[in-house]
Amino acid sequence: MSGEFTARNKVAIVGYAQSQVVRRGTETVGMTALKTAQAAIADAGLRVDQIDGFVAAQSLPSAGAHELIDGTSFVSADWLSRHLGTQPSYCVGFTGWGQLSGSMSMAINAVASGAARYVLLHRALYNPPGKYGNNPMTEARNERQWGVPQGFFGPIPPIAMVANEYLRRYGGTREVLGRIAVEARKNGARLPWSYWYGKPLSLEDYMAEPLLNDPLCRFDCDIPVQGVGVVILTTAERARDMPHQPVYISSYASGYPRNHRIPLHWTLDEMEEAGEDLGKRLWSAAGFGPRDVQLAQPYDAFSPFVPLWLEALGFCPRGEAHRFIMDGGIDSDDPRSIAAISGGGTIGNGRLHGVPQMMECYLQTAGRAGERQREVTNAVSSYSSPHLGGGAIVYTNTP
Amino acid sequence: MTDRPLPVPDAVSAPYWAACARHVLTLPRCSQCATFTSLPDETCPHCHSLDPRFSFEEVSGRGQVRTWTVIRQSFLNGFDVPFLLVDVQLDDQPHVRMIGRLLDGPETPLQLGDRVVVAFEDVTAGVSVPAFALEKAA
Ligand SMILES: [Zn+2]
Repeated sequence: MSGEFTARNKVAIVGYAQSQVVRRGTETVGMTALKTAQAAIADAGLRVDQIDGFVAAQSLPSAGAHELIDGTSFVSADWLSRHLGTQPSYCVGFTGWGQLSGSMSMAINAVASGAARYVLLHRALYNPPGKYGNNPMTEARNERQWGVPQGFFGPIPPIAMVANEYLRRYGGTREVLGRIAVEARKNGARLPWSYWYGKPLSLEDYMAEPLLNDPLCRFDCDIPVQGVGVVILTTAERARDMPHQPVYISSYASGYPRNHRIPLHWTLDEMEEAGEDLGKRLWSAAGFGPRDVQLAQPYDAFSPFVPLWLEALGFCPRGEAHRFIMDGGIDSDDPRSIAAISGGGTIGNGRLHGVPQMMECYLQTAGRAGERQREVTNAVSSYSSPHLGGGAIVYTNTP
Repeated sequence: MTDRPLPVPDAVSAPYWAACARHVLTLPRCSQCATFTSLPDETCPHCHSLDPRFSFEEVSGRGQVRTWTVIRQSFLNGFDVPFLLVDVQLDDQPHVRMIGRLLDGPETPLQLGDRVVVAFEDVTAGVSVPAFALEKAA
């Protein structure tokens, strides 16, 4: 994005709904999406027939054995709009890596350009039956032949290797990751919709947990769930006359794929370089910087993403986030901290792919966070990783 | 007979796996800019040629450990856990990195930058897979 982001503060979130987060659905994820969409439309003070734009973050869990059925294993924008009974003028789905940040950018662009007046953005997650990611592979073909024969496969080894390099290079210990997981579960335990509601995690239990792929244990990884998050966006002008404090989008920025390597071979160097580049573009487009931000919600599907994002977004110098975390810099019970996982993240909610980060930024910036409410004017959320096409979004209530 | 997933050579990778069977590590090298890359693709990641015509050329297989993990639970069949995977930056060209098992064992004490050299595991008749071993002190 150029330094002249012409949509800066021109688009606002005006309503939301969050479904219960459950391990397995008792209804189709499509039905959960319909109910959540109706609730979000009502929350914004709108009627269903006023929604003329639909944007979905619609990539699905690719692991596990299941058929791809729209409305059952994923929910497209087309499916949702058809079953709500609307005739939108703009109806699209984002299928790249940066699910939440990418789809948000499409929704923002649609409103800013006038392609739609009121855009409904949804993210629906389905948890397929069976063991997530278990792979009875006997042959390694195509790109897989370059890593699988050596035993390199699955979602955890890539980030485990990056986490090991980070901690060894900068002098942190496994307790840094433990602090993140414990903070996420503390906050998730306070959220009535969370899968982990009422179930915090102690640091003692974290430290006693056997490792899966050093230095990560299962508490560093989010758990697959079914759940849906929805927000409604419109122009800043229309937002003024709507029921809730509008939350304006100041900027967004996406990363893009970096060096060509075997599938899922990530490197700390590339993640840091991509993050620094993304951070510069993000704040340049916003017109302010991390010092002006009171709330950060970095992506946490794996705990090591948190320090990497805190550094990418400019809250700590490179290599310093582990100290920041150990010093209480993310503790939501400290009003001076940036409360980096106050919304529970995905470790504290379940695998909702960036929805908790977006939702917490919206709720805190709109003054709608209830007992969790903090003094927030500007906030930032992120999704996935900057070297993979992940991105970040900046919010404000004071444009 | 192993349960490990075996590589299926294709038209492009056949020379690579043939060299591995002889315990020789090769890497794809772009015929346009002579740069090594981690795996052959449609284009060269360095000069972006649409016609890179990669050839597999022998490399030293020596390098330094950039990072590692001990796999205590694997998503793949056929591997006895725990085992240790190293991410190695090869001496042959900066930024070319390769992941393999460290044959010294899962409890090997390691530090960033430790020196390793390629080794091969003979997993079944005619199929050898690259791995690494700590370089012996001179
Ligand atoms: Zn080339």
